[in-house]
Amino acid sequence: MFDIVLAPLRVAYMRRALAECVLLSMLGGMVGVHVVLRRLAFLTDAVQHAVLPGIAIAFVTGTSLLAGAALGALAAVVALVVLGWAHVDRDAAQAVIIATFVAVAVVIVSRRRGYQADLTALLFGRVLTVRRDELVQTAIVVVVSALVLAVTHKELVLLAFDRPSAIAFGYRVDVLDAVLYALVAASVVAAVRSVGTVLVVAFLVTPAATARVMIDRVGPMFVLAALLGTIASWIGLAVSYDASINHGMRLAAGATVVLLMTLVFVVVVATRSIVGRRRHVLVAAS
Amino acid sequence: MNADAPPTTRPDTDAPALRLQLVHAAYDRTPVLEGVTGSLLPGRSLALIGPNGAGKSTLIKAILGLVPLTGGSIEVLGHRPEVARSDVAYVPQADILDSTFPVSVLDVVLMGRYRAIGWLRRPRLADRQRARAALDAVGLADLAARRFGLLSGGQRQRVLLARAIAQQARLLLLDEPFNGVDATSTELILSILSRLRADGVAVVMSTHDLSIAHLACDDACLLNRRQVAFGSLDSALTPELLRETYGPSAVQLVAGSSIVTTD
Repeated sequence: MFDIVLAPLRVAYMRRALAECVLLSMLGGMVGVHVVLRRLAFLTDAVQHAVLPGIAIAFVTGTSLLAGAALGALAAVVALVVLGWAHVDRDAAQAVIIATFVAVAVVIVSRRRGYQADLTALLFGRVLTVRRDELVQTAIVVVVSALVLAVTHKELVLLAFDRPSAIAFGYRVDVLDAVLYALVAASVVAAVRSVGTVLVVAFLVTPAATARVMIDRVGPMFVLAALLGTIASWIGLAVSYDASINHGMRLAAGATVVLLMTLVFVVVVATRSIVGRRRHVLVAAS
Repeated sequence: MNADAPPTTRPDTDAPALRLQLVHAAYDRTPVLEGVTGSLLPGRSLALIGPNGAGKSTLIKAILGLVPLTGGSIEVLGHRPEVARSDVAYVPQADILDSTFPVSVLDVVLMGRYRAIGWLRRPRLADRQRARAALDAVGLADLAARRFGLLSGGQRQRVLLARAIAQQARLLLLDEPFNGVDATSTELILSILSRLRADGVAVVMSTHDLSIAHLACDDACLLNRRQVAFGSLDSALTPELLRETYGPSAVQLVAGSSIVTTD
């Protein structure tokens, strides 16, 4: 058992995969908690789809996937902000953005042949082939996000909790919104290479949502979310590594990690509701 | 002294905390406020009374400098609303806030200090002491560590009032402060407000409860998009003016006092 957990550390590419997942877990802790507090999972979803055309263009033109994804994320944030100004309902805005960007991506990609392998990697991630320079890029996103959140943290929490008062205090809430949107977009872009467009939301939001259920304070929530993400990443990578090396069973690494995150979430929620119910019964009986 | 400098010293008490002159405001060219004129002295309390959609919350937003005026002017503590904002506290209805949100009671009160604390920095000891003192003033010091959402509606409203106290505001804007508030908290909120007024704080509250207006306010502004009346309670809350505000069928006289039956 112990050996299974330690095995990934002996292989260079597994070490890099683990490092990438830990970095992304830190992002999930920092940005994911704000996403959960603001109920912005919808935004993560919109951005995740919005990076598709940018990535498709990057495929066709042979330029950097990261640049393409960043461009798509930027376009999504701009579209959301503009639709917000035009007083378009948020759900509707999201639906429009997702549909449009996916359609554009399909149109672009359908003009190419022989890209299936790359596209599969794109949809489901390729965390096992993360390169050193890509790790550095992810680390930069983590550091910049940490700096931005250090400056705006308490104001973002206020805005999430009591928007009318934040406005009354004189905060430029549109600017604060844009800051958070940009952080979400950057996180999605950073994570999309490793876990793929389909699983990005789960990777960034599930640990934060789990932490949100477990504790009542924002500060410890960041740490717990990052920790949960890290643990799930490690075990997920170890299990998928062990399965493929020792049992000849292919388990997609990124997907295994996400499944573990979901498992933890389900266990926590179930425990909470069982414990909560028992507590109610005890109170009622006393 | 520069006229635009934030008011940091106490003004002489004769200067009004709030001066409204022919205030007009519109949303997308539809007028929502017309010709609101009046003033409020420090230590006095004004009730904004009118049916839903009468422009009460628009007026509160305008006093905060959040709604562009299409005419007239607003002076808050002798300054433009945007400049005076740090001395103005807005108290929302407690029940619009997410009761599952992970903040403690003390966290909420500390939010009143955020503008003074500034970006990047965390609350210092002095901020915490001020927040605790404010919680003490609303009788909730022993619940400081409790999650905000676990409190009753009335207690939550008192926490928001404590936040305004911690902000050391000189003008309080309250949005329906007695909605969904139990009798005990109503009593407490009334006494907190009168203590604040004794300290020279001016209070503006929107309400559609005339008995609350009688208990908590000196002056009243009757609104139905246009201003129907602005003045002392006795001069403003007459059956005729209330009928003009709410419509003829909505106001009845019961035992010599006016009752608004629909809203």
